[in-house]
Amino acid sequence: MLVWPQTAHSQQQTAPSRLTELSLEQLGDIEVTSVSKRPEEVWRTGVAVHVITHDDIRRSGATSIPEVLRLAPGIEVARIDSDHWSIGVRGFGDQFSKALLVLIDGRSIYTPLFAGMYWPAHDVLLDDVERIEVIRGPGGTIWGADAVSGVINIITRTAAETHGVMASVGSGNIDRGAGALRIGGGNGSTFDYRVYGKGVNRGAEHHADGATFDEWWTSQAGFRADWTRTAGDTITLQGDVSKGSHGQRASVASFSPPSQQPLDGNLDALGMNVRAQWQRDFSSGRGFRVQTYVDRTVWDAPHFGERRTTADIDFVHHATIARRHTLTAGGGARVSPSAFSQAISTLDFTPRRETSSVYSAFVEDEVALIPDRLWMTAGSKLEHNSYTGFETEPGVRLLWMPRPTSSVWTAVTRAVRTPSRIENAVVSTAYSSTTTVPIFLRITGNPDFDAERTTGYEAGYRTALGAAAYLDVAAFHNRHDGLASFGLGRVALESTPSPLHAVVDVLYVNGVNGTSDGFELSPGWQPLTWWRLRGSYSYVRFNLANTPGSIDVNAVARYTGSSPHHQVRLESHLNLAATGEFDATYRYVSALPAQKVTAYHTADARVGWALSRRSEVSLVGQNLLAPYHAEFGHNLGQPIGIARSVYLEIRWRLLNARP
Amino acid sequence: MTFRVRRHLRAAAAAVVALISVCPAGAQSAPRSEYEIKAAYLFTFARFVDWPPRAARDDSSFAICVLGTDPFGATLDATIAGAAIRGRKVSVRRISSPEAAGACHIVFVSASEDHRMATLGPALAQSGALTVSDMPQFADRGGMIQFVTAANRVRFEINLQSARQAGLMMSSELLRVASAVRTGGGPV
Repeated sequence: MLVWPQTAHSQQQTAPSRLTELSLEQLGDIEVTSVSKRPEEVWRTGVAVHVITHDDIRRSGATSIPEVLRLAPGIEVARIDSDHWSIGVRGFGDQFSKALLVLIDGRSIYTPLFAGMYWPAHDVLLDDVERIEVIRGPGGTIWGADAVSGVINIITRTAAETHGVMASVGSGNIDRGAGALRIGGGNGSTFDYRVYGKGVNRGAEHHADGATFDEWWTSQAGFRADWTRTAGDTITLQGDVSKGSHGQRASVASFSPPSQQPLDGNLDALGMNVRAQWQRDFSSGRGFRVQTYVDRTVWDAPHFGERRTTADIDFVHHATIARRHTLTAGGGARVSPSAFSQAISTLDFTPRRETSSVYSAFVEDEVALIPDRLWMTAGSKLEHNSYTGFETEPGVRLLWMPRPTSSVWTAVTRAVRTPSRIENAVVSTAYSSTTTVPIFLRITGNPDFDAERTTGYEAGYRTALGAAAYLDVAAFHNRHDGLASFGLGRVALESTPSPLHAVVDVLYVNGVNGTSDGFELSPGWQPLTWWRLRGSYSYVRFNLANTPGSIDVNAVARYTGSSPHHQVRLESHLNLAATGEFDATYRYVSALPAQKVTAYHTADARVGWALSRRSEVSLVGQNLLAPYHAEFGHNLGQPIGIARSVYLEIRWRLLNARP
Repeated sequence: MTFRVRRHLRAAAAAVVALISVCPAGAQSAPRSEYEIKAAYLFTFARFVDWPPRAARDDSSFAICVLGTDPFGATLDATIAGAAIRGRKVSVRRISSPEAAGACHIVFVSASEDHRMATLGPALAQSGALTVSDMPQFADRGGMIQFVTAANRVRFEINLQSARQAGLMMSSELLRVASAVRTGGGPV
């Protein structure tokens, strides 16, 4: 899939006609922003997709993946504190980004512990990223369970694209220190490799009480090797190890006074993964890809610990049949054994050891109803997971391209979010109040908690407006069944552990149904070869209600009040002479009543300039319009202020001679 | 007084000229879009290829055609705007069938046509046009010039046999710069 604003994107910098005065050798020595191998594909995709390119990432000044995701329309990225984010797609903002599937080179970073992402523990070297495809809407037909509100596909560059040495160091008031080193080589055609290492140390955001519990650091190293045996036959091996310490403030209950108090400490995370992929494309339009990976995480927090090993294998085959049909079929298996370790008496899982598994198969056919004009794609995924058994996720899409520069599409798809360990097996106690005895609420996993199911109805239109502008519009209506809320279990008096206390059991139930509607408008315009403008407006609204008999009075307000109804983003990218860049971003996010967050505006700016062919400096300012502003609630007390920040980075590149 | 100001101005102008003459190196190192480079290549290839006369083609102008879904957007048109090849006006055409290639000097085959290369190859060879593509294995499947991107640089490979069969003459300069030249089934 690729960059759809290709027309606007392609006429960068100086007048293109000057390139025609160069010799063949000179043309071959110009570095290109390798946007994609197959740039036509976004035009030819009946999906609401936004592609964040390598260059977009560099010019955003962002220092982490969640911050980069702000570039995509329809995504709500809210920073909770220095090392936590709430990320939602078309609503459903949540600290754990439930119902969102995130893949780094095909490796899922979704953790079954809480059905979401723990972002700081899954990092990449941003300079290695070729593109990030942000797909809005249910993607279950291809991607399977948990791709309910969207899919984020982070794709790194091949090793052939990262030859030479790259080194960078940066420092600022919040991003206190960051450094990276990458070394790559090979012959540029049959064997290429790279190795890298990076380290990040980030300070606390603004806390009214001066707390600094959200400081964190992480260090990571990894490699990638690509071996091309013949054209269209590539084997890739890659892996990473990471170690980090991420500051947390947890709210901890105890049966003896003080009944509920904050506990500050670090989540120490250790991660290791290795992935192998074999991709073979035959000239007949047939091809396959087989991939396998193993990912191990070890987390130790003040209030819990988890060890998890995930092994995954995935096979996809595609073939062109009878000229008009492209048939894609595949299957996969994932097993993920984990062990929970208890650190405080009020947080536990039953059972503590568990192995979750998913087996899946899918088939999809793309038919060219009118060659080069009208396509229909239909397919389904059949999946068996260890929590809810068999699930089917069918989908059908229609794409019409009246001209090569515009497309109209519509889709109906179904996706499911399978329960997480928390919803299934947690035992977490929180202090409520004291009457004659202290009363505690015990949130209890419910083995009968079913999958959340979403059916999405979508439509979109993309068009080039002349040679220098484009417009992308997408609208949706989603039907949600069985969203999670709380139900009431038994009430009991317990004397162990002492003192005597009352416990009210609270269960996860599928207690909320309803719909969400909205649209995203994302135009782009390049008025001058050296000036590019982009923007987006995203709107979402909910119509949710408790199912009959459901008693959680806060659930609906929690869903509808944790995502902004309106989001606006404006970007300006200027190239100053041959060596300078000036980038500015303005964004507006409407209020989140359930998170006690008011509407806010903020702006980022970046100045970059090339000191020489080999080195560049950039100065980035983020959240410039106020000393601090809140973006999302914290599980304890008032939301934390996200501070104005400034950092300076220097980057060197030493490229080898031509391969 | 005036004289002195003028001398300062002249020194300043010399410094500016010196700066500008240093700048192009920096300008060239700024990354360009992949398709800007490919568009420039299409134009430049024309200088190194000789076409035999064809009945179906109007040789008083020069036609660069894109077969299939156009990946260039407005880039190709912008690149050749007002340009001439050997005194002939250059035009860009979008075509959807290989039969239409007979009127073209250069045909860029979009990666969207990958699935029908088996049938396209022979039809394109008939057209007498120079065929160029960035789809994988294009040069192995009867195409003449295949773009290959490695280390963020766009280079190209040539299938000389395909070009000769179509009656095209490629200059030794073009063959020298190519990163690979095939004369038969495999690389030389």
